[in-house]
Amino acid sequence: MTDVASAAAIGATVDSRPVVRRRRKRITGRSIAVLVFLTVCALFFCVPLYVVLTTSLKTMDEIRQGQIFALPQTWTLEAWRFAWTEACSGITCEGLRVGFLNSVLILVPSLILSVALSIVTGYALALWDVRWAGAFLFLLFMCAFVPFQIIMYPLIAMTRSIGVYGTIWGVAVVHAVLAMPVLTLIFRNYYKDVPQEIMSAAIMDSGSFWRIFGEIILPMSGNILIVVLILQITSIWNDYLIGVTFGGFNTQPMTVNLANMVTVSTGTASYNVDMAAALLTALPPLLIYFLLGKFFVAGITAGAIKG
Amino acid sequence: MSIRWTRIAPQLALSPALAVTTVAFLGSILWTVYLSLTRSRQVPDYGIDWAEWSRQYGRLFADDGWRIALWNLVTLGIGSALAIVFGFVLAAMIDREKRGESFFRTVFLYPLAVSLIVTGVAWRWILNPSMGLEAALHRAGFEGASFNWLAQGDTAMYAIILASIWQSSGFYMALMIAGLKSINSEIWSAARLDGVSLWRLYVEIIIPMMRFTFLTCAILLSLGVIKAYDIVLAMTNGGPGQSTWVPAYFVINALSQKQNLGYASAAAVMMLLITAVVFLPLVLLTAWQARRRNAA
Repeated sequence: MTDVASAAAIGATVDSRPVVRRRRKRITGRSIAVLVFLTVCALFFCVPLYVVLTTSLKTMDEIRQGQIFALPQTWTLEAWRFAWTEACSGITCEGLRVGFLNSVLILVPSLILSVALSIVTGYALALWDVRWAGAFLFLLFMCAFVPFQIIMYPLIAMTRSIGVYGTIWGVAVVHAVLAMPVLTLIFRNYYKDVPQEIMSAAIMDSGSFWRIFGEIILPMSGNILIVVLILQITSIWNDYLIGVTFGGFNTQPMTVNLANMVTVSTGTASYNVDMAAALLTALPPLLIYFLLGKFFVAGITAGAIKG
Repeated sequence: MSIRWTRIAPQLALSPALAVTTVAFLGSILWTVYLSLTRSRQVPDYGIDWAEWSRQYGRLFADDGWRIALWNLVTLGIGSALAIVFGFVLAAMIDREKRGESFFRTVFLYPLAVSLIVTGVAWRWILNPSMGLEAALHRAGFEGASFNWLAQGDTAMYAIILASIWQSSGFYMALMIAGLKSINSEIWSAARLDGVSLWRLYVEIIIPMMRFTFLTCAILLSLGVIKAYDIVLAMTNGGPGQSTWVPAYFVINALSQKQNLGYASAAAVMMLLITAVVFLPLVLLTAWQARRRNAA
């Protein structure tokens, strides 16, 4: 009897608990199932990173044992050093640092050109009464969908005729051209919410197009600039096709270097070096992602939805 | 004068973008269409023999490589569509179960920051038959396990699909979470009061309400599928044989390996047509949905 009574008492206290602390969510069976499922999915997403990282820290002898999921027995950074300074890509054997430098050199002018071109266009389309603005916006929207392949040869011919084909500037110009439609739409969407009163007052105050841009619009564009910059940095850094097509022999970005290193391997493949090279290439955008994740997500969704 | 200038300056500011659009986009498209009617090989040859203007297209449709590329495009499209489904499931779970939301979001989305070349390199290594996943499973006692997908023509596409799903699911999840957050929260309590089962709530109410988000995802997915090049290059380089060719790969291959400009242009024009055929209905449908949503 006492057992039953105490059990009932316990049951009563257990029952009364949710009433007292209603705000706290109880872990239900369903919650546990969901969390387990999400954790399994998280493992699926993390396994490649784990495998690549551990492989890059192993020696080739250990890799040949075929235990891809095991931690390294002897930890070594040799593969990283080799990938950075000695690995061969094509005929040059100076490691990925060459590609890294090229990627940085490509990134800077590409960013300046693409952002400058599209911020001014977006500003003019959103806040000034320009002719054919609607038609132009529609055209830009269509251009954003055009596959690169159909304009590829003409762009090669054009960049060749102005003498930038095969140089860093060629890559930068093509990046700016291809990013222009999407970035313009992003900027235009951001600026169209600027109150009309501000613009009217600024124009009354004898503000010219460029003065209003420099003194009013640019200072309030901090957030959108960060979002666009992150979007552009990751997409330029991760680009392969434009780099391999328009980059010259000695000006190819890191992704091209990596692909050459991995696919055209003479002799036996060193997977630890390949994996170290892959991680080195992925590191800059990953760092941006983990440090500035919020802006990254805003950038990709803005770049995606556009209209 | 100053008033005149404020009128002219914006038009002038638009001119670079206008020039880029007309020259680099419209002009280039017309140029490629024109080239596709010529017999250009390594260098452009601008004479058109009107008696057989469709010569390149005729050859293209008879080309086995192109047929494989089209078929793979369909396979890749259907396979990658799983990423939308997967993304929705993840989003629905994260949205209902608030615990660990930011952690799971961060984990599911990080592959998107990684380039497709790196993604391909990583998955190719995992699928390595003698040292990768298969070897590890064999050692663990699963002798029958076979993950040597990349070596066989009929399974190599699945490996590419797996890697693309891994890379893009998080992205669709992010879009879906944004869509779910915009749904009125009262629906959940109303459904609970009515005793509607969770399954029915999703299938009959939530998913129809999110059709706009689903359409956006479908557009972006097809865009990604048609553009797919890097991942194919990094994982299989089109092989074994021609078994993982896709149209984007076909065009680049015709241009840089075969050095056949007219042929590559014809394939590129077909790519543009496919894009138009897939997109215009989807874009129009989205615009129509958006208008209806605004009207409601």
